[in-house]
Amino acid sequence: MTPPPAESVAAMIRPAPKPPDSKVNRDLLRVMDGAGPGYWLLLLIAAGSVGAAGAVWFYQVYKGLGIAGYAHPVFWGAYIVTFVFWVGIAHAGTLISAILFLFRAKWRNAINRSAEAMTVMAVLTAAQFLGIHVGRMWKSYFILPYPNQRGLWVNFKSPLLWDTVAISTYATISILFLFVGLIPDLAIARDRFSGWRKLLYTLLAGGWQGTSRQWKAHNRTVLHLSGLATPLVLSVHSVVSWDFAISIVPGWHATIFAPYFVAGAIFSGFAMVLTVMIPVRRIFGLEEYITDYHFENMSRFILLTSIIVGYAYLAEYYVAWYSGVEAEQSAFWLRAFGPYWISTWVMIIFNGVLPQLLWISKLRTNVPFLFVLSVLINIGMWFERYVIIIGGLSREYDPAVWGVYTPNAAELTIVAGSFGLFAMLFLIFIKLFPVIAISEIKELVIHEKTHGADH
Amino acid sequence: MAQLDRRDFLKLVGVGAGGAATGCYRASELPEQLIPYVVQPEEVTPGLAIFYASTCTECSAGCGLHVRVREGRPVKLEGNPDHPINQGALCARGQAGIGRSYSPDRIQKPQQRQSDGSYQPLSWEDATQLLAAKVRAAGSKTRVFGGRVGPTLSGLIDQWIAAVGAGARLVYEPFGYEALAAASREVFGVDGEPTFDLRDTDYVIDFGGDFLDAGRSPVEHQRQLKAAREVLSEGGKRARLVYVGPRQSTTTSNADTWIAARPGTEGLVALGIAKVVFDARQSAGRATGGDAALIASVLGRFDAATVAKASGVSAEQIQRIGSEFAAAERAVALPPGPALSSRRAVAANGAVLLLNAVVGAVGRNVSVSRRPESEHPTATLLEVVSLIEAAKKGDVSVLLVHDSNPLYSLPGPVHFAEALEKVDFVVSFASIWDETSKQADLILPDHTPLESWGDAAPRAGVRSLIQPSLRPLYDTQALGDTLLETARALGASGLPDGSFRGVVEAEWSGGNWRKALARGGEWNALAPSGASVAQSVANLRFEAPELQGSGDFVLLANPSPLLFDGRGANLPWLQETPDPVTKVAWQSWAEISSAAAEKMGIHEGDVVSVQTTIGAVELPVFPRGGLRDDVVAIAVGQGHTVGSFASADGSARGVSVISILPALTDESGGRAWLTAAASVTPTGAHRRLPNAQRDDNKRGRQLGEAITLAAFAEGKWNADAFVAAGAADGAGPGGGHEDGKFHEMLKPFEAKNDSTAESEYRWGMTIDLDSCSGCSACVVACAIENNIPNVGEEGMLRNRGMQWLRIERFVGDGDQELIVGRKPTYNHEKLEDTDVRHSPMLCQQCGAAPCEPVCPVLATYHNEEGLNGMIYNRCIGTRYCSNNCPYKVRRYNWFDYAIERLPEPSRLMLNPDVTVRSQGVMEKCTFCIQRVQGARQLAKDEFRPIADGEVTPACAQSCPSQAISFGNLKDDKSQVVKRADENRGRAYHALHMLNTRPGITYLAKLIRGEEKHG
Repeated sequence: MTPPPAESVAAMIRPAPKPPDSKVNRDLLRVMDGAGPGYWLLLLIAAGSVGAAGAVWFYQVYKGLGIAGYAHPVFWGAYIVTFVFWVGIAHAGTLISAILFLFRAKWRNAINRSAEAMTVMAVLTAAQFLGIHVGRMWKSYFILPYPNQRGLWVNFKSPLLWDTVAISTYATISILFLFVGLIPDLAIARDRFSGWRKLLYTLLAGGWQGTSRQWKAHNRTVLHLSGLATPLVLSVHSVVSWDFAISIVPGWHATIFAPYFVAGAIFSGFAMVLTVMIPVRRIFGLEEYITDYHFENMSRFILLTSIIVGYAYLAEYYVAWYSGVEAEQSAFWLRAFGPYWISTWVMIIFNGVLPQLLWISKLRTNVPFLFVLSVLINIGMWFERYVIIIGGLSREYDPAVWGVYTPNAAELTIVAGSFGLFAMLFLIFIKLFPVIAISEIKELVIHEKTHGADH
Repeated sequence: MAQLDRRDFLKLVGVGAGGAATGCYRASELPEQLIPYVVQPEEVTPGLAIFYASTCTECSAGCGLHVRVREGRPVKLEGNPDHPINQGALCARGQAGIGRSYSPDRIQKPQQRQSDGSYQPLSWEDATQLLAAKVRAAGSKTRVFGGRVGPTLSGLIDQWIAAVGAGARLVYEPFGYEALAAASREVFGVDGEPTFDLRDTDYVIDFGGDFLDAGRSPVEHQRQLKAAREVLSEGGKRARLVYVGPRQSTTTSNADTWIAARPGTEGLVALGIAKVVFDARQSAGRATGGDAALIASVLGRFDAATVAKASGVSAEQIQRIGSEFAAAERAVALPPGPALSSRRAVAANGAVLLLNAVVGAVGRNVSVSRRPESEHPTATLLEVVSLIEAAKKGDVSVLLVHDSNPLYSLPGPVHFAEALEKVDFVVSFASIWDETSKQADLILPDHTPLESWGDAAPRAGVRSLIQPSLRPLYDTQALGDTLLETARALGASGLPDGSFRGVVEAEWSGGNWRKALARGGEWNALAPSGASVAQSVANLRFEAPELQGSGDFVLLANPSPLLFDGRGANLPWLQETPDPVTKVAWQSWAEISSAAAEKMGIHEGDVVSVQTTIGAVELPVFPRGGLRDDVVAIAVGQGHTVGSFASADGSARGVSVISILPALTDESGGRAWLTAAASVTPTGAHRRLPNAQRDDNKRGRQLGEAITLAAFAEGKWNADAFVAAGAADGAGPGGGHEDGKFHEMLKPFEAKNDSTAESEYRWGMTIDLDSCSGCSACVVACAIENNIPNVGEEGMLRNRGMQWLRIERFVGDGDQELIVGRKPTYNHEKLEDTDVRHSPMLCQQCGAAPCEPVCPVLATYHNEEGLNGMIYNRCIGTRYCSNNCPYKVRRYNWFDYAIERLPEPSRLMLNPDVTVRSQGVMEKCTFCIQRVQGARQLAKDEFRPIADGEVTPACAQSCPSQAISFGNLKDDKSQVVKRADENRGRAYHALHMLNTRPGITYLAKLIRGEEKHG
């Protein structure tokens, strides 16, 4: 084994040099400085809704799931809807970080950090719902396959088990991905901040010195993680879709579900990136880094996935009609014209029709329009899951036990709390960690300097 | 002395073993700890049930009971298989009766009401002295008012009245049959209620008696009728049922023909039919039940055309039914029930009796016999009114009320409440708080029937014994003992010594007491006694009744099949069980016809005000097609203000239709119910009804199937549909696939292969929809056997009912209803249409169960005997199993129902064989696996397999019409397999196209339609 190069050893024992001070560093680290009253207010609102949801959840555990609006035969409600919604949101991050990384799409660099962070936060938010949704959360560890003295095992046939595995794998990879990508930036932050933050960044940066050897290892890790994460982008939401597709519920039982859900997830994920990044860009003046070019690219993705999702909507109706299965036919009929018709039309218009406006190139860079559209898409995607899950369950095979479900205040508080949790985590994140990957931006700057802009 | 009695009782009966072991007497002294027996009572084996034969007292039918007792607690009431009335079955009301003993509203000790309304407990000795003093002072101003009780107790009360010199006693039943007895007096000159026997009948016309759900003896009649209607593939009996009445009730939906005559004209229709029969029989030279000239003169003016005009029934129909009835060999006509007892009820009953006489049913299916001397006749409303008048005048000083709740059940205009205030001293013997006992000055709580001795004489030749099976839970005392003690305190002579138990034993000393205790009574088959039409028949005035008041509607106060006259309202199982017709639970509703509702622009749940001359009630409306346009129907039974379950926290639950009924009587003075015209006006308010099934459209799905007799006879069924003859057992063609090729999904299967090859058993069920009447006895039986909690009105409003077994009710085949922009129609009934399918839906124990693979924790699994097991304590509550169950038979514990909905002492009646489920756990039917396991233990001890018929799930056991067969599908000789095989032409599986391979085979309902008899 060769000894480490002398200069790196020296670097370790020498006091750290004055941190390099570039415009990029200043611009991007400024985001992490201080916090105005507006920030604290937002954080308070977010934390408050988390607190309210926590109280409701506590009461629900104590009293029983009956405090939610469930009504036979709809045994999955707003909790599962929101769970699927957040898992969907979690998709854009890995897509941007991993797949676009592998495709060497450089424009991703400006948004990948925030997208990755969103992924982790969305997965963490989604994971809460597994505990919120089950009737005996204090026994929910029964679902984990580990040798135990109870002599119990789990059912590997159950999509819910696949779900548990898929989500936990995805969460692990996402966190690793985010963390590995953060290391060089953490080192920059370590060099700039003092006090407890310095300690935090020192610990997290793990002695990053920016040596070429470290860079080499770092780049290889990112590459490998991208390779690992890429199939997960497709698998996680496929598995989540199988939660439904494996069943025999009319409106759930469809082979189209996996691609349909993955497209929907990417669709909603990009919309959420827009929803979050547009205000962040505005507030922190990051127009130089997150440019119209990025928005346009994301718009194109949204347009593409909207077409896929819209196609899936039509295909579902076609298959229902073509199948000749009465239950299937009436389920879809009642989706559009039954008690959930508002949700259905919200879903079709917000997800299938409105995004088609992005064919107009001017709108693709019209930031206010994109912001409004992205919010509408998020709403539409929540309703998509609502329509599929609740619409399917409420009108099944036996008309004697058809029922109608409406989420009640308890569920809506917890759903709102999940948005609060997501917002709270994100707000904390942008103050603690660089929201744009500094090192990657620098890479781009250097790249541009040497080769000129490639766009 | 009283203590010694109890000690005797414990020793002799051998119940309340826990109490015996610890040697204490009063509830307040009950030990808190559960300890094992130090000296185990000889007859008690922990874990094994003991059965005591007794008699049900929920109505006057007198069904025999087997009380299942576990470790000193009765946990279930089952029908006594030896009993001639019910032969092992038991109706919903009978099943639920067990809850009286465990009611949270039990009156726990004797108490006296103070002037400030509070209650002061007192000892039984003091209470007896107090009552004796009051009775001594009142003398003949002491009156006894009560419901119908058994002959021994009734006799004792009469003796007591004579001994203490009290005034005349009144036995009052809200749904009495005074009109029938009076009609028998007029038509046959015989004073007594005729009894009706439907055995081997081939033609029944029910003139609004609702005999299958709310009649005199619903279990017996249901069993008899369904046996007479059983159609086997080798050609069996095909009794026809015609229903005459304005409303489609449970009974109506079992009929082949429904004639919606103008309410109150049922008697006229009977006369019209009688005339046709009379003419036919006379021209054939057959007997016509009496003096032909007399009958001819009575029937003379009731030719079909006249009757048609008065009743709104077409003359052709009367002719046709008449000639069919005349041609039948064992035809029976059944009299109107309370709902249709009008001010001409005696004439209407008389007309039906006359029809029976003419057709030759009297002495064959109808037995006319004199009321036994010992039996105290029920009082007419007139007699009750005279008691009330006396009370108002101050002529009643002490009123003793037992087994009755007159404050609730008497019509408002008689002002019973005012009378009660005038009475110095009201004594109630109620064992559960009710409206009347709340107004009493002294409450001397009686034992509940499960804690009592007694007997019943439901009809001639049947004496049934009531023996205690529960050591009294509280400081109560049998009514008989209280009377005996009081008489002793008064020094009255002429009453028997000892306790009431001794009196009962003495009454039964003629027979073999021990044998009677074991069998539940003594009975012998008596030949029906006949009678011929007497001259007095001419006294009857056959005419359509008048109604009081004006209004577009006739107010029909129909007995609730579950709550009956209101006595079942405090039993949560009866409140929770959806009404068999409307599927509404826990509430009152007003039925009006869909057309009338449309005219008023109102929909289900819109609150209407129903106004008579007496007053108005406001309640949600339930529009139906199965009701005449000129009728508003409200079921009797709700509207209580007292009771944990009967009332809504002390305010009225629903409304009591009795409160708007005038106090009118029939010709004999008996209470008339069909007396008022009513107006219905929308109030603009809305109140959603808690109904378990909203839509009766089955949308052509493979549920609640029906087949015409003709198609069944041909052996072909639904050639276009996928379910074909033989799909049940794997033989026969696949529907629409004559070449023998099946679509993958529609392949027939062998249900018996869905257990492991080594297993000797594959449990399965055959449910005959043609036998199922929809009565819901099985629903209550299942709930009590399996510790299924009730969820209350709040829960039912959110469809959270926990019942594992439900009766689905579909009207016709339905249609897909894919129509945009129209308010959905939920009710598809049509007037005079009886194509109603009742389909019990419970876990199908699928061979390829969709619920099993989706459970992540293996809480639900397939066991080696083909059952779909459920491990409650493994369930984490993901609820995916229920989502994936196409039959939607899984129920979920949204709250800790077992704790919240079982107030003390209700949990004492939990079945120890069945796990009590906690919050967050899914539950469902497992074919009463605890019973299977019980039988397995016995069989194992004897080194033999479980025999056919040894295991009967609670639902199959309680079914009065034996619609459910249960057994081993691997045993070709088992009842369950034979029944499906014999009826192969109408066997199907629910939602067969899903290929779930159910363990339940349904036999489609037979539509007998209008085809000619024979």
